[in-house]
Amino acid sequence: MAQADGLTPPRDAPGQPRVSKLVLLGSGSVGKSSLVLRYVKDDFKSVLPTVGCAFFTKVVDLGASSLKLEIWDTAGQEKYHSVCHLYFRGANAALLVYDITRKDSFHKARQWLADLEKELHPGEGVVMLVGNKTDLGEQREVTFQEGKEFAESNKLLFMETSAKLNLQVSEVFSTVAQELLQREARQSHSAQGDAAVVLNAGPAPQAKCCAR
Amino acid sequence: MEYEDKAGRPSRPPSPRQNVRKNLDFEPLSTTALILEDRPANLPAKPAEEAQKHRQQYEEMVVQAKKRELKEAQRRKKQLEERCKVEESIGNAVLTWNNEILPNWETMWCSRKVRDLWWQGIPPSVRGKVWSLAIGNELNITHELFDICLARAKERWRSLSSGGSDVESEDAGFSAADKEASLELIKLDISRTFPNLCIFQQGGPYHDMLHSILGAYTCYRPDVGYVQGMSFIAAVLILNLDTADAFIAFSNLLNKPCQMAFFRVDHGLMLTYFAAFEVFFEENLPKLFTHFKKNNLTPDIYLIDWIFTLYSKSLPLDLACRIWDVFCRDGEEFLFRTALGILKLFEDILTRMDFIHSAQFLTRLPEDLPADEVFAAIATVQMQSRNKKWAQVLAALQKDSREMEKGSPSLRH
Repeated sequence: MAQADGLTPPRDAPGQPRVSKLVLLGSGSVGKSSLVLRYVKDDFKSVLPTVGCAFFTKVVDLGASSLKLEIWDTAGQEKYHSVCHLYFRGANAALLVYDITRKDSFHKARQWLADLEKELHPGEGVVMLVGNKTDLGEQREVTFQEGKEFAESNKLLFMETSAKLNLQVSEVFSTVAQELLQREARQSHSAQGDAAVVLNAGPAPQAKCCAR
Repeated sequence: MEYEDKAGRPSRPPSPRQNVRKNLDFEPLSTTALILEDRPANLPAKPAEEAQKHRQQYEEMVVQAKKRELKEAQRRKKQLEERCKVEESIGNAVLTWNNEILPNWETMWCSRKVRDLWWQGIPPSVRGKVWSLAIGNELNITHELFDICLARAKERWRSLSSGGSDVESEDAGFSAADKEASLELIKLDISRTFPNLCIFQQGGPYHDMLHSILGAYTCYRPDVGYVQGMSFIAAVLILNLDTADAFIAFSNLLNKPCQMAFFRVDHGLMLTYFAAFEVFFEENLPKLFTHFKKNNLTPDIYLIDWIFTLYSKSLPLDLACRIWDVFCRDGEEFLFRTALGILKLFEDILTRMDFIHSAQFLTRLPEDLPADEVFAAIATVQMQSRNKKWAQVLAALQKDSREMEKGSPSLRH
């Protein structure tokens, strides 16, 4: 629907940080919007259910470089599936969120991942599995190990968070951003590889290539 | 005002009118700080010329201060008069609605006079009645039917909470797990429906009503079930109607073609609604339309939220109620007209924004949108495109999409 087909206009204006699209997906009420709210505004409060999609931006400062995230926070109710999976298209990164106190939300993550992969080209995009609500440890239904194994078998990054207590939240986003930058550097490196045989000198130019 | 506070509150709160009076009979407070004093005796006296100059300056300052105060008082008086006028006109409107329009609904509701009055907003005290009449009850839902649906919902809640969910196997196709998930979701969403009002949350006065209506609806229409966004619609109705009547209005409202298309998440149909919207978008706001196209900002980005919740989540509640007023009168067309009104109101800002900022702006509109400006903008929106009205444009698009066989529902234009 929106921003489809990779026809995104070039938006890497010189001097501006690179822009990456990050989508959040996962079952209803696992805390997608709360994670974003905590990260973008350092706030935690009762968030309204997301109908459709909510949007945020945040510049991630990674010391030497920075990255601007366009955050697409999608609706979690499955009924919205048929509409919302279109929002995954063209994403550079995704947070696949589940609630560690709800096994069903973890099982559903598999389904969400399949949906996501339909919209991304293989190997494209950084995906992190996020187990949220570690503050409710005594109600835990999904162990850290289970999450980790699922992530590893699907080549996903993995972290557990608490949006409520602000545990590991900014780490999630900065890790994803870091990974995005690294991948990009690798890509531009290999792209240079061919041409750079002749002239392999000077500092690497600012990564400019489109991550897709 | 200031010294009133300092003096402490009177033991009996004054009637609002008295209070207002006091504010009006003003004392130019700012002049009290301006006191012209002679130099202390141990200092040489001012030369006469200088003393004269200072006196003059002092007098000018006092005059200026008094002028300011007077102006302020006049402004306040005018504001008060305006407020009184508004209140009086609301009072008159209530009388007109109650004594003239409601008793003669069938003959009067579409008259010019009533339409004008309607546009200005239905007074809250008659709003529920007018909405009910305008929405109608073509589903013929009775209070008894509501009781039956509610009883079934309660039965279901009980069986689920006692853990016997796997035993029952009615409504083939809707697994117990799905039902449980949707009941859980209803509970959760109730807690986050207008949280600021603090009336729908657990323990709040309207919590049970909201729960009842949403639960009864999932029993009445298991094929639709609970969809996020519904809790807001039900809540707005509850604020204006009794439980059973709110349920009747809710079910009939959701049964309208546009609402059915959205709440069933019938993607193909939703796309024809968006396409029809774009026809009128281009017609009314060609510049912004082109800008959005260039930025890939498709209408679903903002319309989904607006249409699903009938603006109750994205606009201030009193403004949303006024949108509902006219929506009840004009139908789905008005929802899209409102969208164009909002876009028109912010056209200048939006044409300067890129994709993400427009999307952010439209999905989180400013909280202090003045109703009059929004309605003035809506009023200028033309719902005619090449002599075709909304319904005709929509019907033509639906016909096209039907003819284009079911094949892959392409999303590109």
